[in-house]
Amino acid sequence: MAAPELFTKREQDFLETLLDEGVEFMVVGLAAAALQGVPAVTQDIDLWFAHRGDKKMIEALRKVGVSYIPPSDQNPPLLAGEAADLFDIVVHMHGLGSFEDERAHAKIVEVGRIKLPVLPLERIVASKEATGRPKDLAILPVLKDALRVID
Amino acid sequence: MRLDHEEAKRIAREQGRTLTGVLGRAGVSRTAYYSLRRRDNILPRTIRDLAAELGIEPERLLRKTPTPLTYERRLRRAREICDRFPGTDFHNVWHTLTLLDLPPVERLRRSLRRGRA
Repeated sequence: MAAPELFTKREQDFLETLLDEGVEFMVVGLAAAALQGVPAVTQDIDLWFAHRGDKKMIEALRKVGVSYIPPSDQNPPLLAGEAADLFDIVVHMHGLGSFEDERAHAKIVEVGRIKLPVLPLERIVASKEATGRPKDLAILPVLKDALRVID
Repeated sequence: MRLDHEEAKRIAREQGRTLTGVLGRAGVSRTAYYSLRRRDNILPRTIRDLAAELGIEPERLLRKTPTPLTYERRLRRAREICDRFPGTDFHNVWHTLTLLDLPPVERLRRSLRRGRA
């Protein structure tokens, strides 16, 4: 079943191409929490890549008209292109293990016809605790309460 | 079970959109949509055959719209969790239980819709 109105056709192609081309990534942050049932609000979908900016990733992005803009000075890395407007690149996940370690325990969540690897809720809690940023600490009670329900 | 074309148009109109626009954004071709509209039964044969084998109406195999009973059960479950974990916020639990009754795509849709409002 398609995911009507959540993703545009281009966004769907973007995700499917990443998966088809074997680009290692997972959904993290509050979008990942929302997918698992947390009543959290987010503006975008954070993606954590195993090898940010490598050839395979760049090639997959090119196929869907997206460019990777590497970090410079104080600017974070960005994805540029209509298909990637909804997505952000996460540079570092505080308080977690390596991408490979975390990916091994990722949940596979069906979003319409796409099967996305998603950081488990307990690991999202761990990362939010580790950042210590006010906005992350503010959402922690909601994440922890949801974890009690989902467990 | 038929596709309710009038309802689809009405909902689109309520949202200030046209059905054609919605179809385009959903990636659904007009041909596919109108082909579905002409069908007497839009349920996949798989569901109908499975239901026939089980001797039940196919609708029993579909997710139901929440009823008052759904809300009663959810309320009971929310209270149980809050009792088991003192300090847990009831509303966080309630909304999580509500979201868990929805498919992931709908959970994310709600999160993004509110975040971008």
